[in-house]
Amino acid sequence: MSVLILLVDDDRDFLEMNRGILEAGGFQVDCYTDTDTAWESMEKRKPDLVITDLMMKSLNSGFSLARKIKSDPRFADLPVIIVTAVASKRGFDFNPQSQAELEVMGCEAYFDKPVSPDLLIAKVKELLS
Amino acid sequence: MNREEPSILVVDDEHGIREGCRKVLSEEGFKVTTAGDGIEALEICKAGNKFSVALVDLMMPRLGGLELLGRLRALDPDLLLIIITAHATIDTAVEGTKQGAYSYIPKPFTPDELMITIRNGLERQSLALETKRLREERERRLLEVASERSRCGTILKCITDGLLVINREKLVVLRNDAAARILPKASKPDIPFPMAKLEEPKFERMIDEIFEDDPGPRIVSQELDMGTSNFMVNISPVIEPNGETSGAVAVFHDVTELKQLETAKSMFVSMVAHELKSPLAATEGWLNLLLSGLVKDDPKQARHVIERSYIRVKTLRNLVAELLNITAIETGNFQLHRSSVNVAVIARQAVDAAGDKARGKAIELTLNDRSRDGTKTSLADEEALTLIFSNLIDNAIKYTPHGGTIVVQLAQNGMYASFSVKDNGIGIKAEELDKVFDEFYRIKNEDTFDIPGTGLGLSLVKRLVELHQGQIEAESTPGAGSVFTVRIPLS
Repeated sequence: MSVLILLVDDDRDFLEMNRGILEAGGFQVDCYTDTDTAWESMEKRKPDLVITDLMMKSLNSGFSLARKIKSDPRFADLPVIIVTAVASKRGFDFNPQSQAELEVMGCEAYFDKPVSPDLLIAKVKELLS
Repeated sequence: MNREEPSILVVDDEHGIREGCRKVLSEEGFKVTTAGDGIEALEICKAGNKFSVALVDLMMPRLGGLELLGRLRALDPDLLLIIITAHATIDTAVEGTKQGAYSYIPKPFTPDELMITIRNGLERQSLALETKRLREERERRLLEVASERSRCGTILKCITDGLLVINREKLVVLRNDAAARILPKASKPDIPFPMAKLEEPKFERMIDEIFEDDPGPRIVSQELDMGTSNFMVNISPVIEPNGETSGAVAVFHDVTELKQLETAKSMFVSMVAHELKSPLAATEGWLNLLLSGLVKDDPKQARHVIERSYIRVKTLRNLVAELLNITAIETGNFQLHRSSVNVAVIARQAVDAAGDKARGKAIELTLNDRSRDGTKTSLADEEALTLIFSNLIDNAIKYTPHGGTIVVQLAQNGMYASFSVKDNGIGIKAEELDKVFDEFYRIKNEDTFDIPGTGLGLSLVKRLVELHQGQIEAESTPGAGSVFTVRIPLS
């Protein structure tokens, strides 16, 4: 069975381009525009990795999803990547990379949109290995 | 009145007495004027001549001395009146004193007798005048102090900033009405009271800073968060002439609204930044994909990527245009490009444009055109009108749950085209209804938490409607839905 990546974003362009990148990298990709249907699908088939946007229906729906995943024993081991265009109070880009910051956010990696294809593939491979 | 060189008026019908007095008094350095009877004396005084002393004979033709005394006293209350008479009786003396005479010299008198009486009188007069001057001065000062106090009191009472005066013992010794109003803990205790009762440690530290410093005219300023309000607190020392700091005056300026505005502004900037970043990032992502060679040499795929980029860049351009429109309206620089437009056509286009969004939430969106043909033309800005209609419809979709109903109705209402958007969404509470047109105002509760927006849509709509000399109003029932109605004048 091929590796399944769950992609959650309410912006169809990012869904489409990231799917393109990941499929070119040889992964199977399921796309969702909201966290609720993404969660329903996860309960049916557990993906190998989740990539989610941050600001969708609400300001922190991506965070909520990440925390929900990490606090559920079934999914706690599931790597999560957050990709966002959100601006931070500190300036144009909000780019936490320290382990502590990532843990607080409930994710293994964080990218500012748009993420370059090479970086995304490399990070996915690293997290899946 | 110049009393440096005392001048004396001698009133007597006997020429010898008049001249005798003139001789004696002139030798003593007095300036002497004489009058032959009461009428002449009055005329001299009424002509503006001032005297320190008047020597008045009692028995004179035309106007008697007793009556003259009263008249002279009335003309000048400070005039020293001395009676000279050959018919000295107790009765005339009493009567003369009643008329204000200081003393009484029986004729015949010696130059010495005359001089002693006049000198004593002048001395007494000068004492009386000094006393009077002092009394007047005191009364004037008292009046000044009283009016100064009441003026200060009125200013302190009316001033909108809170004011506290604190002495070296850290006792609050004065508080104005505003301080009692805005600092609840300062309103109850009787003055003076220890400032610790205010329970504001930060404020107390500021006071400490004023007191512990070397005396010098410096001001300590800090913004303090006190309960539900924010204050800009400025404290200045009260410095005595000897250089010591005897206390401090603290002024509390309420900056709560400014703070709220600041927060709203920074939230608005983050919202705008996100709105700008999303299309920019999408375009960048697509172009990156193209450059990275992930898009194979397939013209169809390449075209798709370019099309998507184009759409996002266009959206970005529109967004920037909208932001500039808002700025232009705010600064009064927005110009309407009016032309004869069909309101019904624009309403139809706006409803059609929102079709996808409505279907995405399974919302039934219908247009009910009840306006008559030929009455739908308005001299309006087509772009602005589209913006007004689209914004109201988009808002209705945002605040109406999945599966709801939105009815857009167009009707003629007198000289106006009436465009209303009715939804069965979450509705707006009465107290928030007035504020929905305010800039940056967004209703925040559990129902709206998930709904994004800049808080500018309705304020932009209202401004555009008003630029068209139109009206906008909102009615709502929480839980049942809202109706937004716009009236645009017809041509």
